[in-house]
Amino acid sequence: MYVSTVYSLIIINKAGGLVYQREFHSGLHKLSTNDYLVLAGTFHGVHAITRSITPRLPLASTATNPTTASHSATASLSVTSPSSTTTPTTPTPTASNNPTANTPSSTYSFPNPSVPASGLEFLETDKFRLTCFQTQTGTKFLLFTDPFMANIDVVMKKIYELYADFVMKNPFYQLEMPVRCESFDRHLGSWLRGRI
Amino acid sequence: MSYYFTILSPTDAPLFNIAFGTSKSGGDGIARFRFPDTAQYMNQFIIHSSLDIVEEAQWMNGNLYLKHIDTYPPAQAYISAFLTPSGARFLLLHQPPQLPSTSSSGGNTGSSSLLGSSFSASALGGGSSGRASSSSIAANPTAPQTEEAVRQFMNEVYENYVKTVMSPFYRVGLEIKSPVFRARVTAAGKKWL
Amino acid sequence: MSSTTKTARIGEELWKTRVDKVNAELVTLTYGTIVAQLCQDYDGDYTEVNKQLDKMGYNIGLRLIEDFLARSNVGRCANFRETADMVAKVGFKMFLNISPTVTNWTSDNNQFSLIFEENPLADFVELPDDGRSQDELWFSNILCGVLRGALEMVQMQIDAHFVSDILRGDDTTEMRVSLVRYIEDEMPPDEE
Repeated sequence: MYVSTVYSLIIINKAGGLVYQREFHSGLHKLSTNDYLVLAGTFHGVHAITRSITPRLPLASTATNPTTASHSATASLSVTSPSSTTTPTTPTPTASNNPTANTPSSTYSFPNPSVPASGLEFLETDKFRLTCFQTQTGTKFLLFTDPFMANIDVVMKKIYELYADFVMKNPFYQLEMPVRCESFDRHLGSWLRGRI
Repeated sequence: MSYYFTILSPTDAPLFNIAFGTSKSGGDGIARFRFPDTAQYMNQFIIHSSLDIVEEAQWMNGNLYLKHIDTYPPAQAYISAFLTPSGARFLLLHQPPQLPSTSSSGGNTGSSSLLGSSFSASALGGGSSGRASSSSIAANPTAPQTEEAVRQFMNEVYENYVKTVMSPFYRVGLEIKSPVFRARVTAAGKKWL
Repeated sequence: MSSTTKTARIGEELWKTRVDKVNAELVTLTYGTIVAQLCQDYDGDYTEVNKQLDKMGYNIGLRLIEDFLARSNVGRCANFRETADMVAKVGFKMFLNISPTVTNWTSDNNQFSLIFEENPLADFVELPDDGRSQDELWFSNILCGVLRGALEMVQMQIDAHFVSDILRGDDTTEMRVSLVRYIEDEMPPDEE
């Protein structure tokens, strides 16, 4: 099975505006530009809401027995999907079969008042997974991948580095504006191709 | 031994001047030229008149340090030269101390006001401390030891010159006014000459 | 203390493995030329030059923070003391290969000083001898702006300014950094 398919990338600025959209691999239906803008804005809103509804659990809750602990941690810190947040009693497949999403909860003792809630981290369907990575500056990277793809965080980190190098360091790039950096496109494309 | 050191730009504009005396063999680092009343302009005159020879000598070999290149017998002035790759010239005039028999310090006290402090000092201090250093190696301007000492001096000045012209506020071709550089040249003189 | 040394190790590691190096003289001369040109353009109005340098730094900081985060992979700082440590031991290490000393904290932990034992921007520099630059020009003022811009992007509004500079004849080069406020996450009202 082909498991390292990256369908497309969306970058949302900290105000919720779409600044970059690119398709790497066909497989998803294309949306109109307007729909992408709506998607970006909507996701931004949902992300903010999921963060604000993150419950503030007492520290002790992380030290309960393993089954409940893993679940409550998932629901509190990495809001894995809207369903797991709204109906916490029903464990979603996402929460159980994705160990990477749970790792942050073991390193923090949430709720650590200094660590803000992270908000929505990924959404999953049968056909694709949407992973969101928010930088500390508020920019969001949305990656649409194959649901079985592993090591998405590695891809995400590399994309962030390329963004820092070729977008942020381009003196003619205006902050918070749509990204039109040819060298970013090129390096991103060739790096992703090289991975496959 | 008394010294007069000048940096000339590639277009012969003087960038830096300093007069000092030897610090070896008990010297106090104060210049005592033979003809203190005329030394200030004569030194510059002698140095500039050696430029033709510098320009000839610079093609003889690839060295930056050209050693002793010119002598002006009437003043017993010896000129050593050093070129920077960018074409600036470092010229050092050295004058061995006056022999007691040709002492002329007696008649010069009245003219000291025309001269810099170091020159007026020479008029007062006169021959005695000059005699003290006359026996040292550096007193012979053409000795290999002197050549070596001058080379070391030039190299040290060159290093500091590079740092000074790297200062963003120094404009190429203008006089070097940096007190730091002056202090470093003085220190180099003290160390080697 | 152990967290401080750990932070220092992160900085060392990044410097060794993740940073592209460039000739120091190139940086020094480029920066020096910019400052000298500004002094000329503003006709020796050093207050204005300081302001321009700070502004340039601010714009650099806004961008540089992403590079810092992308490479360093460090998480959010728990408090301003941690931030100070991160700035000194990872930030400055990564970009200038120096680690200024963090000191002189106020009791409310909102203000500290960075003491620069070395400053690659100021190598070879001698301020103009016009009698005013020694009192008015902060040669390395760009660093204040960089800090302000970078920290603003991670929700901290700060004020940074130099209080002494070896170039001026002071004994140390010291930058004072104070936290003004944490910028709250603003949620656009129409999204709610």
